[in-house]
Amino acid sequence: MDSSLLPEGVKRCSPKVFFLWTLPWLGLLAWGLFSAFLCLWKGLNQTNMNDYFAFALWIVFDLAVIALGAGAFFTGFLTYLIGKKELKDIINAAVIIGFICYSGAIAMLGIDIGQPIRGWFIFWHVNVHSMLAEVSFCITCYLGVLAIEYLPLILENRKLEEIRELRLFGHNLHGIMAVFAGTGAFLSFFHQGSLGGMYGVMYARPFAFRDGFYIWPWTFFLFVLSSIAAGPSFTILCTKLAEKITRKNLVPAKAFQTLAKISGWLLAGYVILKIADTLSWLYGVVPRAGLTFMDFYREGPYGVWLVVAEIVVFGMIPATILMIPKARQHEGWLITGCLMNCTGIVLNRFVFTLVTLAVPVMPFDKFVSYLPTWQEWGIAMSVVGYGFLLFSLSYRYLPIFPKERELNPVTE
Amino acid sequence: MELNRRNFVKFLVGGVAGINITPLPWKLTDDIAIWTQNWSWVPVPPVGEFMHVKSVCTLCPGGCGIEVRKVDARAVKIEGRTDYPVNPGGICPIGMGGLQLLYNEDIRFTRPMKRGGPRGSGKFVDITWEEALDLLASRISTLRTAGRPEALAAVDGNPARSTMAITIERLLKSVGSNNYERIPSAEDTYSMASFLMQGTWGPTAYDLENADYILSFGSGLLEGWGAPGRVLNAWSLWHESPSKRKATVVQIESRASNTASKADQWVAPRPGTEAALALGLASVIIDERLYNSEFINNYSFGFDDWRSADGNNHIGFKTLLQEKYSPSRVAAITGLNPKDIVSLARDFARARAPIAICGKGKGDLNGDLYEFMAIHSLNALVGNLNNPGGLLIHDPLPLAPLGELPADAIAQEGIKKPRLDLAGTERYPYTQSMINNFADIIIDSAESPVDTLLIFSANPAFTLPDGGRFKKALKKIPFIVSFSPFYDETSLMADLILPDHTCFEKADDIVWPPGLQYPLYGLSRPVVKPLYDTRNSGDVIIQLAKRMGKLVEAAFPWETYEDILASRARGLFDSGAGLIEYDGTVPVWKRMAQGGKVKPDYATFEEMWKKIEAGGLWYRPSHTYKNWGTLFKTSTGKFEFFSTYIEQAVSSYAQKTSEEIATKAMGIVAKGDEIFMPHYEAVESEVDRATYPLLMVPYEMINLSSSWLPNPPHLNKTLFDDQLSKEESFAEINPKTAAEYGLREGDRILIKSPAGELRVRVNLFEGAMPGVVYLPLGLGHTAYDEFLQGKGVNPNDIIYSGKDPLSGHSIWWNTPVQLKKV
Amino acid sequence: MEKKHAQGKRYGMVIDLDKCTGCASCMIACATENNLAVRPDESDKQRSITWMRLYKVTNGKEFPHAQVSYFPRPCMHCDHHTPCVSVCPATATQTDYQTGIVSQIYTRCIGCRYCMAACPYHARVFNWWDAYFPKGKGLERYLSPEVSPRMRGVVEKCTFCHHRLMRAKRKAYADNRRELGEDEYVTACAEACPAQAITFGDLNNPKHKVSKLSKSPYAFRLLERLGTEPKVYYLSTKDWVRKMADNYLPGEYGPSNKTKLG
Ligand SMILES: Nc1nc2c(c(=O)[nH]1)N[C@H]1C(S)=C(S)[C@@H](COP(=O)(O)OP(=O)(O)OC[C@H]3O[C@@H](n4cnc5c(=O)[nH]c(N)nc54)[C@H](O)[C@@H]3O)O[C@H]1N2
Ligand SMILES: Nc1nc2c(c(=O)[nH]1)N[C@H]1C(S)=C(S)[C@@H](COP(=O)(O)OP(=O)(O)OC[C@H]3O[C@@H](n4cnc5c(=O)[nH]c(N)nc54)[C@H](O)[C@@H]3O)O[C@H]1N2
Ligand code: SF4
Ligand code: SF4
Ligand code: SF4
Ligand code: SF4
Ligand code: SF4
Ligand SMILES: [Mo]
Repeated sequence: MDSSLLPEGVKRCSPKVFFLWTLPWLGLLAWGLFSAFLCLWKGLNQTNMNDYFAFALWIVFDLAVIALGAGAFFTGFLTYLIGKKELKDIINAAVIIGFICYSGAIAMLGIDIGQPIRGWFIFWHVNVHSMLAEVSFCITCYLGVLAIEYLPLILENRKLEEIRELRLFGHNLHGIMAVFAGTGAFLSFFHQGSLGGMYGVMYARPFAFRDGFYIWPWTFFLFVLSSIAAGPSFTILCTKLAEKITRKNLVPAKAFQTLAKISGWLLAGYVILKIADTLSWLYGVVPRAGLTFMDFYREGPYGVWLVVAEIVVFGMIPATILMIPKARQHEGWLITGCLMNCTGIVLNRFVFTLVTLAVPVMPFDKFVSYLPTWQEWGIAMSVVGYGFLLFSLSYRYLPIFPKERELNPVTE
Repeated sequence: MELNRRNFVKFLVGGVAGINITPLPWKLTDDIAIWTQNWSWVPVPPVGEFMHVKSVCTLCPGGCGIEVRKVDARAVKIEGRTDYPVNPGGICPIGMGGLQLLYNEDIRFTRPMKRGGPRGSGKFVDITWEEALDLLASRISTLRTAGRPEALAAVDGNPARSTMAITIERLLKSVGSNNYERIPSAEDTYSMASFLMQGTWGPTAYDLENADYILSFGSGLLEGWGAPGRVLNAWSLWHESPSKRKATVVQIESRASNTASKADQWVAPRPGTEAALALGLASVIIDERLYNSEFINNYSFGFDDWRSADGNNHIGFKTLLQEKYSPSRVAAITGLNPKDIVSLARDFARARAPIAICGKGKGDLNGDLYEFMAIHSLNALVGNLNNPGGLLIHDPLPLAPLGELPADAIAQEGIKKPRLDLAGTERYPYTQSMINNFADIIIDSAESPVDTLLIFSANPAFTLPDGGRFKKALKKIPFIVSFSPFYDETSLMADLILPDHTCFEKADDIVWPPGLQYPLYGLSRPVVKPLYDTRNSGDVIIQLAKRMGKLVEAAFPWETYEDILASRARGLFDSGAGLIEYDGTVPVWKRMAQGGKVKPDYATFEEMWKKIEAGGLWYRPSHTYKNWGTLFKTSTGKFEFFSTYIEQAVSSYAQKTSEEIATKAMGIVAKGDEIFMPHYEAVESEVDRATYPLLMVPYEMINLSSSWLPNPPHLNKTLFDDQLSKEESFAEINPKTAAEYGLREGDRILIKSPAGELRVRVNLFEGAMPGVVYLPLGLGHTAYDEFLQGKGVNPNDIIYSGKDPLSGHSIWWNTPVQLKKV
Repeated sequence: MEKKHAQGKRYGMVIDLDKCTGCASCMIACATENNLAVRPDESDKQRSITWMRLYKVTNGKEFPHAQVSYFPRPCMHCDHHTPCVSVCPATATQTDYQTGIVSQIYTRCIGCRYCMAACPYHARVFNWWDAYFPKGKGLERYLSPEVSPRMRGVVEKCTFCHHRLMRAKRKAYADNRRELGEDEYVTACAEACPAQAITFGDLNNPKHKVSKLSKSPYAFRLLERLGTEPKVYYLSTKDWVRKMADNYLPGEYGPSNKTKLG
């Protein structure tokens, strides 16, 4: 019944099956929308955030998805600016994932701030010294860029293609995509960094504070690096997941391998710098503040295990896996490597957000713990639901995998 | 143009672009942002003309000078006055939050009412003042015609000697009842002690600011003791600069209260053994001849052994101490170290101006009479009675008496009858009023001997440390009249409500703030017009009298309560010397020490009164120090370590029975001469300490109202979350004791005493004495609104109190309890 | 920053912890002066609104040597690169170079709470709820028109009673004076303290009591070594109290009263 909308020469499940498939994701979305309604109507007392945990689950989630969404700009950067042609086969998926991540993050931020309706004051009354201002500017602009990168894809829909103007418009956009890829890359390098900067500049929070280069604390560069190390892995994961669900090969192995290789080497580089950073923090910032390493890992669930998990388990190991050709060529290992890589970056964003706030700075201050409410989970989960929905729809109605037809000839 | 898909898309794109170049979306964005800045449900305080009204805070007897900032008719802020000698500038948190009591309509009676449902249900129906007054007047008249005027009783929480207090007592007397009950305070116990030892009823006056060694027997100097505004300022003076400290403060208390923690030295004897410690210190002072021999040899009686006219030998105070209160013996009683007792005694006696003070916590509750006598004798030993930096002995404030009390036959009959509570009878010869006995007797009699109970400025159902005895008594009393402005626990039991103004809506006096070393009369002014249809209880009493026939009316020849205030104040004028202005340049305590006469800064009474009404103040910054020869009004004319008053009382009682039985009836365990001297009596109770191995001691906080007044909501911000968490309050327990019961921080426990049990959470506190459980006073309200109701528990509910020897007041400071983990 | 301030005033506070009795009058004075919202349950200290918070500290000794002391903690009005000011994306909080006062503009705050994350003193509180003023209760009647009540969803904090400065300035201009007297601009908490533990004034003015006290050998600041340059100083002769004010590596803290810490 919707067959006229489906891309040509590819096989899609029946509308009924597709509808059933969307139900769980619609469910998550509904949960999130209801939670959002409560938070906007009654206020943020609906959450378990408090004056100690001013940032909480949502910010962790925001930072995580933005980092994972880095696959979009970085793949674009590699495809159009470095000229890795093989990545053309996966760039569309990367863009859509990026779009999902960024739009989801911005939506969450809209609920997270106490006065969403005044959100635009950030632009109107901007304080150029605030890393958050920089983040806001960049991700808003970059979301625009992603939309523009997404648009031609939508225009390739069979029905829309029939409209001449749109078709032409779409093709022209394609032509100049390199420009947007460049802009995207530029914006992204900055806001990924500024997200790290947000924590690094908090010089009165010894756990987060970092020395750095000129106005940029080390976290600025580490966040850029970790995001471009994890982004591609996340793109691979999502595509692989799509392949598993559709039981098809959608992308040639070469594209995966290129991304995995780059991901691995970048991660390795990141881990080395992260270790260096940790040491310089440990022998610089920490003693200057009159604290010792253990002061940060004594209380509550936050122990030294965090450092081991972040650097060794979810850093060195996936880096190794992805750097060794034999390993990454084996699908099981590839997925494991990417998964651990992504877990590592999420853990890193979690630590910077929650541990920073949980560790008391005043000696007589007390450690308080925090657990999110169902409303907080709802909003976080709805981003997942939204992601699955948008990706499924795009996959169903848009030719996002150029090689799909080739890899899966339809046999009548 | 036909609408095909192409045009539709054009239209769409064009439309979106179009709208965005119009100002519309931008204007909207701006407008809703502006809306968030002006939400209708965020109150906007109206602006208006700013005014400042000077007055005196009467939320507690401390009587701080306050200046209320007003915007038009609204009072918006209470601030301390610097042109008032009690509290140069600062005020306590309760006074600071006072406006929340004035303006919280949910906790106030806004008009007279009568009960409209079962007692305690809080259901009342409106009536007019006329109806209300007629109802009460006729009820009292009926009692009188029935020949039992004494069935009218009153419970009064107004400070002793205040005009409101004597007005209320006058009403009862004119009707023909002696049953005027006061809420006993440490001041009552102290004046009894000083009467027994020096024969004067004058106010207790501590020259704290000029003292250089303050030995505090559990007095919560930082918890709201005495006149808090004044005491906290004295604290500041003592700590003027880190380099040149002016005074040493030693706190004797079983718990690390703020005072104990901030003091220079903290001494922690077992609760209830303070008397023994005081006598131990005295014995060291005597052994080491550190006492003031001029005073002891010439102006004291009963120090050395003596022989009475009847030829009997009596042991003196000195011998008593040597025999029974050596440091080692006292150490055994108090759990302290003998060496510490000795060095403490030396420090105290060698100080230039040492002073020993008492009155546990805020001093809102009675003390232990023999303990106070023991502490008083410390001051005598070092000869600092009526000396700068010591304990000054004054006559009461020279207020004019209210004049002859005409009494008709009925009244005379009534007044002849003994008080219900037996205060002033041979068992409790020097006690003025015994509300604990009052409750007991009502509970124990088949039918309540009290028919009508009037309650003024008191919430006995909440504040009395009696394990709920008074609440029980209330249930039996046929007719209860509450004059409280607030829906407090006691009012909820009342049948008739005649609501008073709050202290910010009426004029009233502060007669000598507790402990102040010079005579001071404070007058509060109405800072706002009464908000509701309430009436000054003083006026109501006059109106009531006018309804009860000639006689009672004749006792109240005034139009309004302010007339009564003025007529009493005339005495201040007649006394000659006095000032009504204070500029803050020379503090009164300094000026007094410098000496010199005081020339009144007013010529006529009218001028004086007018100025007092404007400035709220009359005081006399001068004093004749020492003067030991004529100071003491005892039968010996001297300061008596051996109280001849006690001897008289006991022997006259003994004539009827035997000294044995008499002293037993008076609750005294001691034998022989010790009975008549300060001594330590171990609290003997029939409670089995095996079942109740621990002690529960209530404590007070300056930032939590434990008086009859509700706690202003803002003060909830100041309670720590290990004092109150959600609805649960905490008991302070020493980690060692907690360990014995396997308790961890925050655990829930039951504290059980013979009087009842309470459910609280555990707060491990090293400042708590092992074996003792500490609960804060002021929580656990069952009345009031969502800010107070059901928050925490009230230790008074489980206090199991014996009677203090001789005074008969309750022993509330150590209740045997047991713990159970839940 | 110092240069900037050298030209103007640097209002600051000295709190004598030996005098401080923990009575909390300062908290209530602040709450009543600045229209702080109060809810039926104020026991959740991570969400209860107060600009001046009292911290209770104990010396960790056993009975009968245990001691309690208090740290009254307003906003420190940090002088160097004010942590909260520099992070605020919407310039809703500013450091006034003329006074050193770190202000808060509620109607501009978007409630992102980055400033709270950046402040190590927890001096900033967020309005998790609408202010509680039930109809008919009448509690709004004591609100002061000098300070606007806050709406839900914004951050608030101690302003050094900025409106009192404005009040004093207006008065000064009225009888055309340029300079304010030392006692003309005093914060509500300092004024209310019954133990006179709080002194307020211009740290740049050598004649003012605060600038003298702030140079006392017993003076110290909270978390001094982080470099926030607080304009709130504390005094205490008790070493265990002074040690509480900052973090020290083993053996780093010299318990000499005469040497300044940090
Ligand atoms: N107390 C207070 N805090 C504030 C503000 C305030 O007015 N008062 N204003 C806020 C605002 S708006 C801003 S912009 C920030 C500014 O805050 P900062 O950026 O910290 O500005 P400064 O502290 O003046 O300068 C920082 C350091 O840079 C050094 N410096 C000067 N020139 C150079 C240079 O060429 N190279 C290098 N490497 N260092 C240099 C200065 O000596 C100083 O030590 O502070 C914010 N915080
Ligand atoms: N010498 C020198 N000059 C500098 C700088 C420097 O480092 N050194 N730094 C430069 C930089 S980076 C900056 S950002 C600028 C900043 O310079 P300005 O923007 O002038 O910063 P402020 O001086 O804080 O001005 C803010 C004004 O807002 C007022 N204000 C304070 N609180 C409130 C409030 O709650 N509501 C309202 N409506 N007003 C309020 C204050 O009184 C103050 O006058 O200064 C620049 N000038
Ligand atoms: S101490 Fe008493 S008189 Fe003074 S302000 Fe507090 S309540 Fe009022
Ligand atoms: S008012 Fe003064 S004494 Fe009371 S807590 Fe505040 S600073 Fe300390
Ligand atoms: S104390 Fe906190 S809120 Fe105050 S100025 Fe410093 S950083 Fe900002
Ligand atoms: S919460 Fe308000 S003040 Fe704080 S950073 Fe965000 S916008 Fe600025
Ligand atoms: S200075 Fe003003 S705003 Fe700050 S704490 Fe004191 S009273 Fe509150
Ligand atoms: Mo700036």
